[in-house]
Amino acid sequence: MDLVFKALADESRRLLLDRLRADNGQTLNQLCAGLPGMTRQAVSKHLVILEEANLIAAIKRGREKLHYLNPVPIHEIAERWIGKFERSRLDALSQLKQALERRDE
Amino acid sequence: MSKSTIDTVAYKPKSVYRTYIAATPDEVWRALIDPEFTKQYFFGLATEVEPRAGGRFRLLWPDGREHITGEVVQWTPPRRLCVSWDIQNMPPFSELPTCLITWDIEADGAATRLTMTESHDWDVPHEIMAGGEEGWPKIISGLKSLLETGKALSFDMSVGPPPEFVAAVEKAAKEKPWMRK
Repeated sequence: MDLVFKALADESRRLLLDRLRADNGQTLNQLCAGLPGMTRQAVSKHLVILEEANLIAAIKRGREKLHYLNPVPIHEIAERWIGKFERSRLDALSQLKQALERRDE
Repeated sequence: MSKSTIDTVAYKPKSVYRTYIAATPDEVWRALIDPEFTKQYFFGLATEVEPRAGGRFRLLWPDGREHITGEVVQWTPPRRLCVSWDIQNMPPFSELPTCLITWDIEADGAATRLTMTESHDWDVPHEIMAGGEEGWPKIISGLKSLLETGKALSFDMSVGPPPEFVAAVEKAAKEKPWMRK
């Protein structure tokens, strides 16, 4: 679990996870093309850290290596600290927050 | 050697779930194919697998009703199990086209790496994939917990699928975007 928190404690790595959330299953080239502000070397290095933390699962498909956001470790963190009763309360709060914010738009 | 009738070429992996389990590949394999195990971590569903490519695959509710039906696409114990996946008796979800569920098991030091890949042959909307991402981690974490501690996690059956997931599936069931291939 240390690896997960260390991996998440970096803005660029969270950005990479966001890119996969928007479009899951990208190659290194696709990820780099979507992040012109980051060097290929940096993207590559961050992917290794995310993979070691199991936040990204990479699979081979033909010659390509595709990267996917793996929701399992984040689910395990939620399970550990947030019980199901708290969750339904949190869901209600989060829906209320969304509804209120929508009204402000 | 028997063969599956499913043409897998058109199917592309859309979601991947991975966990590391303190168990042997044989134990993980057994947890996937033995109904006494699946009942404990897969929302009470019992699996029924004919152990060969082309064999029948089903997941059954405790009262015997079918939830999932399909065919064994690949049977390579204890490395890979791939099945086709059709949801039954659960509109609008049962309107969705067949998908493929593949389990890959690899030894990784003292642990075993389990990877589940969900593949589709149509452009599945984001909301539908996100809906699956709510449910699968519970199943996979439950499997891990059962093998490591002998105890499954409790699952709350009163919590249904999220409303935006149901709405996205209803929309797809109506518009059938998979017909536009």
